[in-house]
Amino acid sequence: MNKTLLVLKHEITTILSRPSFLFAMFGIPIIGAAVFIIAGQLNKGNPAQNLLTQLISSPQTTLAEGYVDQSGIIKDIPASVQPGLLVAFPDEASASQAMVDGKISGYYVIPPDYIQKGNINYIRPDFNPLSSSGQSALLDWILQVNLLAGNTQLATLINGPKNLEKVSLSPAPQRAESNMLTFFLPYAVTMLFYIIILSAASLLLSSVAKEKENRVLEILLLSITPRQLLTGKIVGLGLLGLVQTIAWVGTGRILLARSGTTFNLPIAFQLPPSFLIWGLIFFLLGYAVYASLMAGLGALVPNLREASQATILVIFPLIIPIFLISVLINEPNSLLATILSLFPLTSPVAMMTRLSAGGVPFWQTLLAAVLLALTAMVVVRSVARMFHAQSLLSGQPFNRKMFFNALLGKS
Amino acid sequence: MSKFWKIASHEYSRHVFRRRFLMALFSVPLIMVFMVVLIIVIIRMDSNPTPIGYIDHSGLLANAISQPAAKWPERTVPMLAYTDETTAKADLQAGKLQAYYIIPGDYLTTGQAQEIYLKEPKGIAAQQFDAFLSANLLANQPAEIANRILGGSNLIVQSSDKTREASKDRFINILLPILAGILFIVGMSTSSGYLMQAVVEEKENRTMEIMVTSVSPGQLMSAKVIADIAIGVTQLLVWALFIVLALIIGKNFIPSLGGLKFSGEMIAIIVAVMVPAFIMISGLMAAVGATVSEASEGQQIMGLFTIPIWLPYIFIAVFIQNPNSPLAIAMSFFPLTAPMTIALRIGFTSIPSWQVIVSVIILVLSAIGAVWLAGRAFRLGMLRYGQRLHWKEIFSRQRV
Repeated sequence: MNKTLLVLKHEITTILSRPSFLFAMFGIPIIGAAVFIIAGQLNKGNPAQNLLTQLISSPQTTLAEGYVDQSGIIKDIPASVQPGLLVAFPDEASASQAMVDGKISGYYVIPPDYIQKGNINYIRPDFNPLSSSGQSALLDWILQVNLLAGNTQLATLINGPKNLEKVSLSPAPQRAESNMLTFFLPYAVTMLFYIIILSAASLLLSSVAKEKENRVLEILLLSITPRQLLTGKIVGLGLLGLVQTIAWVGTGRILLARSGTTFNLPIAFQLPPSFLIWGLIFFLLGYAVYASLMAGLGALVPNLREASQATILVIFPLIIPIFLISVLINEPNSLLATILSLFPLTSPVAMMTRLSAGGVPFWQTLLAAVLLALTAMVVVRSVARMFHAQSLLSGQPFNRKMFFNALLGKS
Repeated sequence: MSKFWKIASHEYSRHVFRRRFLMALFSVPLIMVFMVVLIIVIIRMDSNPTPIGYIDHSGLLANAISQPAAKWPERTVPMLAYTDETTAKADLQAGKLQAYYIIPGDYLTTGQAQEIYLKEPKGIAAQQFDAFLSANLLANQPAEIANRILGGSNLIVQSSDKTREASKDRFINILLPILAGILFIVGMSTSSGYLMQAVVEEKENRTMEIMVTSVSPGQLMSAKVIADIAIGVTQLLVWALFIVLALIIGKNFIPSLGGLKFSGEMIAIIVAVMVPAFIMISGLMAAVGATVSEASEGQQIMGLFTIPIWLPYIFIAVFIQNPNSPLAIAMSFFPLTAPMTIALRIGFTSIPSWQVIVSVIILVLSAIGAVWLAGRAFRLGMLRYGQRLHWKEIFSRQRV
């Protein structure tokens, strides 16, 4: 037991003395908080924002644009249109000349067959199809009114009801689809758990593979059993991961709670306190599964380079929820999302995504946790079997079959 | 000279005829296909075919005509008429409707309506109800005019000399330059990663000591760079082949993939920017490989270069909307961010020629600098073990 503690202490002090780890643990929450504060300030509107908008927006041009109506549809321009925004030209040559002279920033050509085909040519010197500065919406409106023989009332209604009152009969508070956080919050949670579980597990892999590569292991095994070594490493690195989870999730929750006042968020965006507890449970269990798998990998590979190539074998199930993230967020209670959040290898990430999207029945979360715990037990046991002197000291190259056979207990 | 080719061909075949390289090569097109399928599936799942109900008090929908059918992969939503709210509400609660609308008697003058739902319908379904209303509003208009208004107009953006054009139906003309640029950068960062790996590996396992007894360091390095560029070109050719195949096959199913118009100017700009960028990055990677003593250490330093190269990608939304903003122009002039920035901007604007020229000149100068740096770092660091070469030493006036 003494030796296990020694391994544990050594792992923690080694990792803590690494600047990159300290940066990840404290730097990222600090940067997050800084970005958050700046965003909050920008939301209120101040000189810094103006500078930023100027930096990322296009240089100013004249608003006026021209049009050449070859179809003869436009007979008069509705009174509501601000004069001077769209200037009529008799032919393309004069419009093109006006563009060169800088009187207009671009022009539209409505061809004679507009009614049949619907094409409008839009000539711009900077050729920007997504520019927000054009007057094409205005031109569309003028065309519509003229096609409807000047009936503005009808033309307004063509684009749907002018004023749509939305009534929700659902008892739960709704998250507005348009609010950016509806997507962003579950997305951030998913990424957070993916990164935390993966980074803690790969620390284990690199620590085992490195000691194997530089033959420290040969000396260590003289005075310590493989089982003690494994336990010490898993627990030590797990504790560090736990601290990291608390630091990140805690900062996130505080920022989110503060954002309620900064961004005027409705109550639906507050994560319940139980989220933190579930987060810890799923992190610990998910870590137990993936860290043991990584340790098994580390025991079998001959050196660090091959170790990092072989990780894809282990982390593949963890990537699946990342691939399907938009489905998980948009339909958190669909069949696919439910399966992913119950299946033990994907559940540490998928269940957290669903919990942050909201509306998960309690029994499902509990079931997922129980299934994950059972898997963790099985995996830890079979990896412990893998972790014996024979495989730790051999230098044979790694292959997939060997890994899965060892995991299933066939040697 | 024969030694040069021997090294180059060894380097090339060592990487290309490996299962790992082939897998990386083919996984990119596979991932692209997977993404397209995923997007189609998501659109299809997003468009919910459950009917929408309506209660019409205005008489507008008395003899309702249905809206134009939705385009694949979206699904058409049927519209059901109800006479009173209680049945509509019951059907909504029972899940037979995704939402219902109440159109009041004075709708034609006020334009006010009410939408009732349990979970707000996705935009696609709501758009279909709007189209349904419009179709009925236009029922009395001549068919030609009604069709035009319902179909909307199709804006075709053209540059002033009319050599480039883009529209909703021909979005491929915009996407292709961006895609080409991104593939170029993926290809060049992976293949220059191989270069770094090759240099540091031979140093690590002491092969280098034997190599330099029979070949000059200059030959060794230049052969490796040439092989590395050949690997990158192989990768790009295979990917280009896949894209061309996909376009030829896809044209039969999706008409908007047709109408591809390549402008020679665009190709020229991409090539002029990417070639020096490629040499610059290869040079930097080789320099990193020569200075570090372990492969894992090299990978960490490589990350420092990879971040600025991909940085413009984070600003993609900003660059697309305002391709001529001061930030975009500044990033086109900084050598590490230039390739990606130019690739993103070129689809959405015609970049002024002076900017292209300045950017290319900066890139060529940086490429020359990077190659010089690599050569020097290589000569100084090639036989040094256990101790990292410091940048100060490379720039010092020490003769090598």
